[in-house]
Amino acid sequence: MKKTEADTEVRRTTTNNRKRIMLIFAISAVLSVLLIGRLTYLMIFRSAYYSEKADELHERERAIKAARGEIYDANGTVIATNRTVCTISVIHNQITDPDRVVEVLSKELGMDEDKVRTSVEKYTSREVIKSNVDKSVGDSIRQYALNGVKVDEDYKRYYPFDTLASKVLGFTGSDNQGIIGLEVKYEDVLKGIDGQILTLTDAKGIEIDGAAEGRIEPVAGNNLYLSLDVNIQKYAEQAAMQVMEQKNAKAVSIIVMNPQNGEIMAMVNVPEFSLNDPFTLNYELTEDVSAEEKQNLLNMMWRNRCINDTYEPGSTFKIVTASAGLSEGVVSVNDQFYCPGYKIVEDRRIRCHKVSGHGAEDFVHGAMNSCNPVFIEVGLRLGVSNMYKYFNQFGLLSKTGIDLPGEASTIMHKQDNVGEVELATISFGQSFQITPIRLLTTASAVINGGTLVTPHFGVRVESADGSKVETLTYPVTEGAVDKNVSDTMRSILEKVVAEGSGKRAYIPGYHVGGKTATSEKLPRSLKNYISSFLGFAPATDPKVIALITIDEPEGIYYGGTIAAPAVKSIFENILPYLGIEEDYSVEEIAAYEIGDVMMENYMGMGVSDLKKKISETDLEPIYLGEGDYVTDQFPLEGELIKKDSTVIFYLGNK
Amino acid sequence: MERRQGKRTEKTRRYYDYSLLFIIIFLSCFGLIMIYSSSAYVAEMKFSDGSIHFLKRQALISAASFVVMLVISKMNYHFFAKFAVLGYGAAVLCMILVNFTPLGIERNGQKRWLGVSESLSFQPTELVKVAVILALACLIVLYVKRKKMDEWGTIFLMVFVTAVPGLLVLMNNLSSGIIILGIGFTMVFVASRKKLRFAVVVGLGVVAVIAALQLGDKLVEMGVLESYQLDRIHVWRSPESYPLEGGYQVLQGLYAIGSGGIFGKGLGNSIQKLSFVPEAQNDMIFSIICEELGLFGAACLILLFLFMIWRFMVIANNAPDLLGSMIVVGVMAHIAIQVILNIAVITNTIPNTGITLPFISYGGTSVLFLMVEMGMVLSVSNQIKIEK
Repeated sequence: MKKTEADTEVRRTTTNNRKRIMLIFAISAVLSVLLIGRLTYLMIFRSAYYSEKADELHERERAIKAARGEIYDANGTVIATNRTVCTISVIHNQITDPDRVVEVLSKELGMDEDKVRTSVEKYTSREVIKSNVDKSVGDSIRQYALNGVKVDEDYKRYYPFDTLASKVLGFTGSDNQGIIGLEVKYEDVLKGIDGQILTLTDAKGIEIDGAAEGRIEPVAGNNLYLSLDVNIQKYAEQAAMQVMEQKNAKAVSIIVMNPQNGEIMAMVNVPEFSLNDPFTLNYELTEDVSAEEKQNLLNMMWRNRCINDTYEPGSTFKIVTASAGLSEGVVSVNDQFYCPGYKIVEDRRIRCHKVSGHGAEDFVHGAMNSCNPVFIEVGLRLGVSNMYKYFNQFGLLSKTGIDLPGEASTIMHKQDNVGEVELATISFGQSFQITPIRLLTTASAVINGGTLVTPHFGVRVESADGSKVETLTYPVTEGAVDKNVSDTMRSILEKVVAEGSGKRAYIPGYHVGGKTATSEKLPRSLKNYISSFLGFAPATDPKVIALITIDEPEGIYYGGTIAAPAVKSIFENILPYLGIEEDYSVEEIAAYEIGDVMMENYMGMGVSDLKKKISETDLEPIYLGEGDYVTDQFPLEGELIKKDSTVIFYLGNK
Repeated sequence: MERRQGKRTEKTRRYYDYSLLFIIIFLSCFGLIMIYSSSAYVAEMKFSDGSIHFLKRQALISAASFVVMLVISKMNYHFFAKFAVLGYGAAVLCMILVNFTPLGIERNGQKRWLGVSESLSFQPTELVKVAVILALACLIVLYVKRKKMDEWGTIFLMVFVTAVPGLLVLMNNLSSGIIILGIGFTMVFVASRKKLRFAVVVGLGVVAVIAALQLGDKLVEMGVLESYQLDRIHVWRSPESYPLEGGYQVLQGLYAIGSGGIFGKGLGNSIQKLSFVPEAQNDMIFSIICEELGLFGAACLILLFLFMIWRFMVIANNAPDLLGSMIVVGVMAHIAIQVILNIAVITNTIPNTGITLPFISYGGTSVLFLMVEMGMVLSVSNQIKIEK
């Protein structure tokens, strides 16, 4: 290689060129190494972050709905459960034969073809056509095996008793979330945790065949056990319906509760509505209404008057006045009063319901007569501050804390604004408003020895598999009323029923106590009434307390006449049901010819002897067959029967 | 003269860079595999010929281009250097036609194709790269011969020759423009004996980039720039903040890269290619390689490119004359800049700009002219005479 610079061809590269070429290579090498470093950072140290982001992007979640917890009554009867329903949806990209899909879906679902077509042609990853479809319809759609049509099973709330305790239980919406009642209050308990099916999809939401499916199992909601008893609820509902129909009343509400612990056994608000079809009014509309008005009407229909609405309690409130008076010592059982038919307070003449007046009477008879002047006098003796002290002590000015949503507050005068006249009207239950549940809870404290309980339905929460059980507890305040006062009040209230205004609630042997009320609704000029009766039994040891309110009865509207018998009919049914034994007083045994006899042996006895012997007893004989001798008898010898029972004799010849 | 005649009779003693040839074949085949992998799913849904739509086209063009490369590699590069002026003129003409006449075809909002229809069109930018390399190589040889290489007049001439097509390309294609200017800069730098002026240019460039990043926001505040002009920079700084607009492509690329891990999900198992990464077989193909083959595969690919560049260096250093050397330097600069820019863009190391990965990305024009360049390099290598 010996060539001169003058060579016509340009020489090979110089050392300088080579150095610079190597520099270029070196720079490339350094940059390459830096890029590998950058990749290392991205692909190792940031890998977790980007992988997760990418997975979020690729994974489409399909929720598997968790079963909502069931609700059971006190006997373990299911009163709210779930039914399997289907959700029909389409995935635009997977549809191969849109016309067929539209045809099948509109036919099976009974939907407008255009409506279905709009959904099918909509460019979304997933479009729900219809939810809450019957399982049978879902199954038949699945049979067509249409591409792009998804049938997902789902749960829908189902109430086996339909209208039973509708305003207490409440219902759920299309998303299975509680809307009113216990379903709302116990939402967190009842709702489960939805599961998920994770599928990989491409950017357009098309599921990738063969990609592994991730599945997170749903957790079913907890089951809720109530103190509500379906049988007692049914009895109460029957009684309420009967009164409502007979008196053509607007509404009737009944609460039946255990006064010792606040467990509510029944809460009726007739007319009830269908929980399985809660968005249909339970009466015919006479005119067309707007959607907004319709919603208002539905809200009205769903109202639980026992807790959502307040009313003037009237005479039942005299229980409170009496307890306060006895507690404060301003009145004793034997104090004498005189009722001329009215009482003048300041410049007002406040009438008693008995215009001619009750005349001279002691406190107990004042209560039995529900005499207004007596209670006005007690109220005035107490004075405003004492009255309010006891209101607070009895919990009257605060909410009961019942486990239902929307409990209304007591509407009471401000203490500073209460003059003599107001105090007088408060004393017999007028000029303020409370909820039925509030009155019942305070009355419970008065008769149970002074324990202010929290009324409630929820008793126990159990996980779906029964592995976890939680017993619900509620706050209890002791000492609302002195025990002696409580004892006195029970005996007074028993007398009210046994001999006074509440006598139509009297049941021999059960020591029913109670107080009637007839409150005039505002405005007074309309002459509309709420008649009510608050009763409990047995007065010796109260096991059950009930309050019935009848809204706007027609005709006779006195609480003692129409409300007390309703409670009587409920008690007659549920006291034996609750296993409370009759305890007859001597007078009752005499008056009602109560007693047991041992059935004797009459077998083989001649007819004439038999008739003679039977006539000496109180038994009611029935003779069957022809003959001179007794061939068979019912009941058999040695059975203990009531002494006025019916007995059957079969006659024949030897 | 005797030795020379002797060599001419002993053709077998001519050198031929089989290492480079092997890398070219390997990269092309690897590219075809990756194009199939990244495009099959989308092609299946979109085209009547199904999943092999892109693969088929690319394979046919690659095969034809490979033949062209072999033919060129057996030609004496001094022969096609004679067409340098013609090629350069044609390239500039094409760029003018693309930019200023209806013959320019717009795709994805960018006017980069020249032709009469979608199927009968090509990207003249690729032609420009080859033309600039050839023209500059010839010019450099001319001026080195006159010993006027480092005169300012010469430098300005070179800048002018590079800048005219460079700026024409830049109008519609920032990244290709940068590549062309980069090729020109590298070739002149290698040929020159001066240092300071190049250092100054590099220094100014660095200052300009830093200033743009620092002052960009302030200039927007002052109303000199509109904020959309800085979009690329904003997206680059935080692609997560622009997941739907400018950041989408970058972000999807990063998801693909990041989910690859060390050894990747395995060939064919990318999920990001399922239309998450837009046109995964084009500019973004490297992200799919990362996802499927992992850091290991990606690093191997980068090292293969580095090896290729190293082969260019060897050929350039041993070229029989300056013309051959400069041609190879041009090609070397082209491949190096394009590979580094592409990977830097995909890893969000620099702001996003559309740039393909040589030999791997889908694109007919690109592969044809790459093969032409490879043919020229192999032709230079073929002129090397082995001395024993």
